[in-house]
Amino acid sequence: MNHSSDWELPVSESSLNRMTRDLDEAHQDAYPQMRARAAEFSEELADTASSIAGKRLARRGFLLGGVGVGAALALAACSSSSNSASSTGSSPAAAGASGSASMSSASKYVGDLKVVALATALENQAVGAYQAALSAATAGKLGTVPAAVATFVTTAMSQHQDHAKAWNAVLSGAGVPTITGVPLSNQPATLQALSGASTVGDVAKLALSLEDQAAQTYLFAAANVSSAGGISTAASIAPVEAMHAAILQFVLGEYPVPDSFLGTSSAASTTLLTV
Amino acid sequence: MDGETIDTRLLAELTEQSQDLDSDARRITKGALGEFAEEQGERRSGRRMGGMAAGLLGAGALLFGSARSASAASASANSTDVMALQTAASIENLAVSVYTTASGLSFIKSGNATVAAFIAKTITQHTAHAQAFNAALTQAGAATQSSPDPKYAAVVKAALPSIKAPGDVVSLAITLEDVAAQTYTKNVSQVSTSALRTLFGSIAPVEAQHRSVLLAVQALLAGNDADLIAIPTKPASLPAAAGSVGFPSSFYSTTSASPISEGAVS
Repeated sequence: MNHSSDWELPVSESSLNRMTRDLDEAHQDAYPQMRARAAEFSEELADTASSIAGKRLARRGFLLGGVGVGAALALAACSSSSNSASSTGSSPAAAGASGSASMSSASKYVGDLKVVALATALENQAVGAYQAALSAATAGKLGTVPAAVATFVTTAMSQHQDHAKAWNAVLSGAGVPTITGVPLSNQPATLQALSGASTVGDVAKLALSLEDQAAQTYLFAAANVSSAGGISTAASIAPVEAMHAAILQFVLGEYPVPDSFLGTSSAASTTLLTV
Repeated sequence: MDGETIDTRLLAELTEQSQDLDSDARRITKGALGEFAEEQGERRSGRRMGGMAAGLLGAGALLFGSARSASAASASANSTDVMALQTAASIENLAVSVYTTASGLSFIKSGNATVAAFIAKTITQHTAHAQAFNAALTQAGAATQSSPDPKYAAVVKAALPSIKAPGDVVSLAITLEDVAAQTYTKNVSQVSTSALRTLFGSIAPVEAQHRSVLLAVQALLAGNDADLIAIPTKPASLPAAAGSVGFPSSFYSTTSASPISEGAVS
């Protein structure tokens, strides 16, 4: 591999075909499960919202006492506002322009949907970071890019796109706008770090921090969201982000499985959301 | 850097990490286990209240002939948690046993030092997982599990005679790590408390990471690139496939997850 601007993916056509077949097979195995989970999750959120909306007046005094119920009430509010929600997601530019770390009181993403929105934004952030890395590599800004790193980036990016699609399917199923950009208050800092990366190692370190953050966020989500579909979806994605992190550690020359337990100290907070 | 220097450094690091492991495991799982203990306390207290209600319900149910089903339903959630924890501990016990056996094989002891170091480190991690699952069982007042998972113990027993080279060990370990990761990923959705979701959810990704590394090692061994199984490796020399072989699917499947009863204490 060289630094020239005509950089190409350093994989032979036959290797790419084989990898594509393998990935297709893996998708065929996992995708039906995910589609079913996303559909169940959306249905569950909708059922919860309509059920609570119907009982809200009668049970208000009781419901106001519980934390989980607060989220449920928020879901009900979300449902009632979803009909008028725009179907367009936030653009990266808008996310960057907002620069706010606080949720608007009129946010459509409340309760479990707030966590789903955060997850979608994190996936989009990862996709954007890998896309930027590929662009920088193509422009020769990262020096020599090892073949294994190139395939890592393209494969991991594709999987993050799949994750974002799964989460967006939940959002659209629940009647709220999908998220196509990165409405996170830490996005400007991420973009700045990316633009400052001059080596493959720099990009790998940044990617590792994003993968760790995503895996830990999903662990936190699995423990804290209330819907069964949300729990199972988060639980099925966290290991994949952790696997990305393991290979990145290996490429960076570090031990690939440094911790016996996944923590949550680097989990992203929903306060990062700017929508 | 030559191989000897690299692996000495790695082994030193791993030794240090192993010494910190118990405290690390305790720190990370302490919160989840503490919450679980609180939830168990609340549940027991709720059960006493529920018992009164169940008594009334049972009296009514007897009239309608359904007392047994009411009783079974009230006990089912807790038993699910206990069986899931016992099965998880049994999978960890088997993993510890297999890796320990592997570490004593001549072709492992005298083979690639990074593979040997990985096995040593992974033993300590699976030991910590078993301890965490058994600690949760103790918190729940249930029997701990010290035996291996029976289904996969049989698989291991059948495979042992054919293990002649590092690749055979890696292949068997991939199977066990995948079963563990799939089982715990599924368990996250099956257990009844947030604390247990945290516990299973904090271990499943680590087993997935073990599998990821093993898949990469398997590919390197198959490609006669064993010299690249080193920390640090030589990224520029890695074959392209090494960058993606470690994470074959976008979502972690649970189709091969063990049922919660598989390793339950009878």
